[in-house]
Amino acid sequence: MEISAVLQSIENTSIASSIRDSLYLFPMLESMHVIGLAIVFGTIAIMDLRLLGLASVNRPFHKVAADILKWTWIAFIITFLTGGLMFSTNATAYFHNSVFQAKMALLLLAGFNMGIFELTTGRTLGKWDTSPSPPRAAKRAAVVSLTLWIGIIFLGRWIGFTTSHSQPKEDTAPQINLDDLFPGAADDSKAPAPPETPKN
Amino acid sequence: MNEFALWLSQTYPSVLIQTHNSWMIPTIQSIHIAGIGIVLVSVFMMDLRILGLAGRDQTLRQTTSRFGPWLMWALVALLVTGALMVIGEPVRELVTFSFWFKMVLVAVGTVIAAIFLRTLKRNDQRWEEAVTERASIKLMAVFTFLVWLAVIVLGRLIAYDHIWGAWSPAQRL
Repeated sequence: MEISAVLQSIENTSIASSIRDSLYLFPMLESMHVIGLAIVFGTIAIMDLRLLGLASVNRPFHKVAADILKWTWIAFIITFLTGGLMFSTNATAYFHNSVFQAKMALLLLAGFNMGIFELTTGRTLGKWDTSPSPPRAAKRAAVVSLTLWIGIIFLGRWIGFTTSHSQPKEDTAPQINLDDLFPGAADDSKAPAPPETPKN
Repeated sequence: MNEFALWLSQTYPSVLIQTHNSWMIPTIQSIHIAGIGIVLVSVFMMDLRILGLAGRDQTLRQTTSRFGPWLMWALVALLVTGALMVIGEPVRELVTFSFWFKMVLVAVGTVIAAIFLRTLKRNDQRWEEAVTERASIKLMAVFTFLVWLAVIVLGRLIAYDHIWGAWSPAQRL
């Protein structure tokens, strides 16, 4: 199946169209997405600051992790699901949106960074668990993680300012534009469209 | 308020943000969101400690001295970036129901946090361990977290203020 057909069928699902038709669902999904990512970012920051030896230094790393990681994952699932539902409302446009693509790339990199840390430095946890200043590789992973997550937040916010301009208007399939659905939505409709892009 | 918003939108700092809005607004908003993450999780960790769901190897005071300063400084950062957003887009922010409702809840959340952190500082260790057993304190912890969640929802709803219908002042413009 062609990717465009897949994207089209995602947009055509009843759940995607009921989100588009509702005045409240999209803003509510966005709000839950922000709550989820706030918890993801905040909890990851606690872990990273511990790895950097900048905070919670008197607590063993495994105790900090035990308190926090489950919440990170719960929040990540919420963020992933709400993000997926928002994606479904305008799948073709998001898929071809370069800011969205960059955000997904950073998410993957953050996943790789975590995986590499778990498989290398994480394996030797016993040696540095109580140390206020973990090994250099752990600090490097923490800096990479913080940088990537801040980048993810930036790109995520940027998507809201670009979606409606990502495809030419005379495009094929019945194009649904978020701006048309939320005519009063000051945010992403009034917001900084590049001057050369005509507002629809 | 409408006149004030219009006046503000013509001041120099506002015009400066407006002319560079293509990158300034998303940048300020992103810093604001990162700050929200720090505030929410700081409150969350203290509330979890009160509820006995995290950090049980630490006293309540150890937990609050770990997260209290982050909470307060992140709130300052939110105030600054929030003010910049108001200056940059006064009408979009000030002429909404969501914004003012949000400000009320921000005040409620901040006052609760300030009173809590201050009372804790003034009392001894035994008091703080006894206090975490109280149902009213546990209830307050849950309430506080819900207040901050509502603040986040209202912040997002500033962009969709028309969903409040007649409550939205923008509808009467």
